[in-house]
Order: sequence, then C-alpha cells, then structure tokens
Amino acid sequence: MNGSVIEIEALQVQRDRRAILSIERLSVRAGEVLVVLGPNGAGKSTLLKALIGMVRCRPGHVRVLGADVGALRSAALTRLRRRVAYLAQTLAPGSEMPLTLREIVAIGRTGCAGLLRPLARGDWQRVDHWIACLGLQPIARRPYAALSGGEQRKALLAMAMVQQPEVLLLDEPTANLDAFWREQMVAALTELHRTAALTIVLVCHDLEAIPPTTDRVLILQAGRPVAHGPCDVVLTQEHIESLYGRGLAVGCRAGRYLLVPQPAQELTP
Amino acid sequence: MMDLLFWAPVLCAGGVAGASTGLLGSYIVGMRIPFLGICIAHAALAGAVFAALAGMTGPGLLGPALLAASVTAVLVGVVDPQTIRTDINVVLGILFSLTMGLAFLGLGLFSVFGVSDNEVRNLLWGSITFCRWRDVWIMSGAAVVEIVFVVLFYKEMRAILFSRTHAAAAGVHVTLVWTLFLLLASLVLTVNFQMVGGLMIYSLLANPAVAATRLVRGYGPLLIVSTGLGALSGIGGLLLSAVFDLPTGAMIVILSSLLVALAALVARWRQGK
Repeated sequence: MNGSVIEIEALQVQRDRRAILSIERLSVRAGEVLVVLGPNGAGKSTLLKALIGMVRCRPGHVRVLGADVGALRSAALTRLRRRVAYLAQTLAPGSEMPLTLREIVAIGRTGCAGLLRPLARGDWQRVDHWIACLGLQPIARRPYAALSGGEQRKALLAMAMVQQPEVLLLDEPTANLDAFWREQMVAALTELHRTAALTIVLVCHDLEAIPPTTDRVLILQAGRPVAHGPCDVVLTQEHIESLYGRGLAVGCRAGRYLLVPQPAQELTP
Repeated sequence: MMDLLFWAPVLCAGGVAGASTGLLGSYIVGMRIPFLGICIAHAALAGAVFAALAGMTGPGLLGPALLAASVTAVLVGVVDPQTIRTDINVVLGILFSLTMGLAFLGLGLFSVFGVSDNEVRNLLWGSITFCRWRDVWIMSGAAVVEIVFVVLFYKEMRAILFSRTHAAAAGVHVTLVWTLFLLLASLVLTVNFQMVGGLMIYSLLANPAVAATRLVRGYGPLLIVSTGLGALSGIGGLLLSAVFDLPTGAMIVILSSLLVALAALVARWRQGK
C-alpha cells in the first residue's frame, strides 16, 4: 500500500454516457486529512461514493485499504464498508417509527457485530461512549425525527464512529448547519482526528468547514481536479476566483479559512 | 350466546392474523412502503385466481398464490431504486397495478370459460368466519417463521428500517436481509389473506403500526405494541361482530381505525401534560 490507504488510478465515473468524475491519480496516506472542495456538481460526492463502491467506476482502479473496490463481490464489499465509515450528504429521512438517537447510533455496530448475533454489552458501551463524546447524552432517548438538523448530523457522525473505522468519508457534514453547529462539527472532527488518528476525506464547499488539521486540499471542477496540495498552496485568491467567481477574498486565521466579500471598489476591472 | 366450538378457531385465527400482520406492518409502515402489502396481496390473489381457473380448489390455491407473491417480492428486491433513480413506492405502484390487472383479468376469464368464481371472490373479502383449526395451524406456522426472522435479524432490520442506504454504507448485509424480509412478507400476507381477505389485510398492516408509533418510542416496544394492537383488532373485531351480529371484516377495520384515533388522542393528551 506504500502507506496509502486510498489509491486512485485513471478513475472515471459516467452517468448517461457522460463522464461526471475523472481523476488520473490520487492517493491519501494513513492518518491524513484530505479536503475536497468544489462547486455544486463538481463530482465531490461521487468521489466518496466511488471509494465505497456505491457507484460503478470503469475504467480505472480504486484501492481502499488494499482492496480493489471495483473487483469486490458483495460480501467482501460489505466487509470493507465496516472499515470505512461514510457520512452521506443528505440527512436520512429516518423511519416512520420513532427510533431513538441511541438506536440510530447503534446501527454503526450492526455490521461489525456480524449476522445472527445480537449487539453485545461492549457494542452498547461503545455506542454510549460516542454519544457522550459528541455531547448527545441528554437527547439519547429522544426520537431521531424530533432532533434538529445539527443533532441529526452529530448522531450520524456518532453512528460512523462506533464502527471504529480506519477511514472516515464525510460528505458536507456541515451542510444546512448554522455557525454554532458548524463550529461544533469542525471542533468534533478536529478532536476525532487528534485522538483516533483517522484518515479523513472531507467533502465541502465552504472554506469555514475546513478543519485546522487538514493536510491537503483537492479542488474539483466539472469532475476534474484543478488544484491539489497543502492548504496555503491551493486556497489562493486565483483558485477561489476560478471556483466562485470574483468578489470573494480568502482569509486565514489560526489555520482556519474563510471567504470574505470584497468591496466593489477593491475589485480591479 | 356465542357458540364457543364454532368461534374458538375463528377468534384464534383473528388474533394470529392481527398479530402477524401487525408485526409485519411495523416494518412496512416504518419504511413508508404501505404499497408493498397490497402489491403482494394482489399478486397472491392473481396466483390463486389463475390456479382456480386451472381447476385447483381449496388449500390447493395456497401454493400458486404463494409462488406469485414470492416472485413479486423477489422482483421488488432486485430493483434498486438508486440505480433506476425511481422511488420504491413508484416501483410498487407499477407492480401493484400489474398484479391487480392480472387478478381482474383472471376473474373476468371465469365468465368466459363459464366457471364459478365464488371461491376466488371470497379471497378478496376473506372468509374468516369459516376458519377451522387446520387454517389456524397454517397461520400460526407462518407467524412462528415471522417471529424467528425478527429474532434472528432484529438489529439488521432496525438498520434497514432507518435507511437502506445508510445500513449498506455501515456494512450491513442489506441485500440478503431485505430479500428475506420480502419473502417473509409474501408468506405472511398470502397465508393470512386467504382468511382475512386482501382488502382487510391493508388495514391490519397499517393501523396497528401507526397507533403504536403514537404510543411508544424505541424499536422493541414498537414491535411489541404493534403486534398486540393487531391481535386486539382481530379478536376485538370478531367479538363485536359476533355479539352484535355485524359484518366481521367491517368491524375489524373499524376497530383498528378507532385504535389509531384513540392512540392519537392519548399522544395529544400526553403532549399537553
């Protein structure tokens, strides 16, 4: 694996005979945080789905934790997904049944526990541990559907973490969150990376959502990488303008990035 | 006074049918796929209708009905809504209209061939008051299979109830367990619809589960309460029908609907406290 937990070679994903994602080469080392930025429809979510075999990619190779994802049969893919936690962009509408937050978090242990075996006491302890870590204890017995968007996202993050994954794939974990909840989520991710030494691939399109522990940034546009490297190299005014147009300036403070609207008189013709 | 010898198997059948469809309904309502119930019930009806056209009668209709229901269930299982980018309820709607069309085509052919269709028409409305102990054992057998399934795949079904996509991403054997669930649904619905009737099954699938969601929270309590309310609807409806000499099916449906209203009132009262 050469220390890489994710290796992509000549990846191409097509929809309706049109390439929606095309990456020649990309690798992510163990313990690294890679942020994938890009406008809507850039192929960010498709990249994450390709990493866990939820979209077909032909031609090309996607190797995750040493396994060729495209060549895996159903059972082997299921086993790989237990080692790679994925937090989807859209919040699950949930069940009509009022399942509690604790029960939802326990879904993360379901695959790991194996078929025909109930969750053991250790599994429930792990569930309660992550509920406590993310500050969800007071609402653990409340129905998932009755939680706020931010609480639901944290519940899904806890569900991903109880899997004890080696790789964490996050698709816009701060989407639809207000500034308070966004900061809570960034702080939680920073802490997770610090304590669990996870490999994290984080998709977002807000610079404010980039954790300070980020090692590299990949910018996708129309399904293709347009910039790739450390934050200070990639998050430049030139790249931001190519992504979001003129009128926004990149700011950086204590490892955190943000976009600030530029006054009209400062914009050069 | 009720004739106990006559009513004992009928009440047992009502209880077993209500409990097993109530339990199944908690999953079907939980996944917001109520069409699944009537889709499979109509597939079973189509299977029974064509078997009757071929000259089969009585218990002989169960096999073809089960076969048609299982084929439909497997079809639902192999269709991946994400791949075809269509909601599962749309897929079920198409299959439902197809199975209903086939069933009514078969019913129409009885007059073409000059054969009596009384037996298969009973399947539409059910014939629970003619239920005997042999039928109760068959229904109980299906209920036991259902309980074994729920016990074995308790945690996997909880994950699937929440979201099949999230469950698959978390490494749950979704395809296997989902297909087994659909086959179980075809067994439970086929066995029960012969007695309860295709139309009444829908209310027993939906109402106890909906009432349970208003009364309790949490996966385990929901399954238990939904099962209990299903049994109560079945037995209570039959008792009301026997005591007041009213139509059986109508009483079961009305009682189960009243339970939903009562549960909603209890939930509202609790919120106001």
